[in-house]
Amino acid sequence: MIPERDLPVPLRAVWHAFYWTFDRATWQYDVMVALILAFLWLTPPAWLGDPTASGPGLLGWLRQVLGR
Amino acid sequence: MTITGLIGAICMFPLRAIIALCVRLRIHPNVLTFVGVVINVAAAWALALDRFVLAGIIMTLANIFDFIDGKVAIATNTITRFGAFWDSVMDRFSDIALFVGLIYLYSQLGRTDYVMVAALAMMFAVLTSYTRARAESIIEKCKVGFMERPERIVLFMIGAFTDRMAAALWVMLILSVSTVFARIYYTWRTLNGEVAA
Repeated sequence: MIPERDLPVPLRAVWHAFYWTFDRATWQYDVMVALILAFLWLTPPAWLGDPTASGPGLLGWLRQVLGR
Repeated sequence: MTITGLIGAICMFPLRAIIALCVRLRIHPNVLTFVGVVINVAAAWALALDRFVLAGIIMTLANIFDFIDGKVAIATNTITRFGAFWDSVMDRFSDIALFVGLIYLYSQLGRTDYVMVAALAMMFAVLTSYTRARAESIIEKCKVGFMERPERIVLFMIGAFTDRMAAALWVMLILSVSTVFARIYYTWRTLNGEVAA
């Protein structure tokens, strides 16, 4: 029984993100790191109710600029 | 070469010089491990005081010691089974100290929600290493899951330096949970003959 084999490609990507079997310094690792950094730096801290962060974050800043 | 591989290779340049210095000074690797833990406790203290940039600087220093102890042990031919045990236990101590610093800070700020996020992230960070240690007592290898100690440490440092600790904690929590369950599932599959042991 290897259930991930039967999954469609997008779901298989999600499966591999959580059931991680890749080594460091692979392209899959680079993609995962990029996604994590995007979440860290693009998510406005207010969305997460961050108790210590200051500033709106990159995404919040862009929304402010585009909203003007 | 991948981007993360390139960053790792660049970071190795100064680390090689530090390793060579420690080898020349004949510093015992267990001493380096202990010094790393003491510095990490200072980082936890800085986190507790909401001094994130200072905590980031101290964590960087602490993790240099953390990284080089094994390399110095290899270079000086002082690898022992106690050294491996000592290193592993001290790593858990350092991990927990950093989380305790954040839990103290969030409790001081009256943020029970983030006290819980940090506490759960700490719980699953400990379980990440425990599941691997227990699994490798019954199967040959159990190195699945993304959120291992180096990733956690780098996330702590990025969260501290860029003032995005809450987001870093959420990533640590979600990926630590998935790592623990991945290890349980991998062990179960291996014991059932679905993965080559």
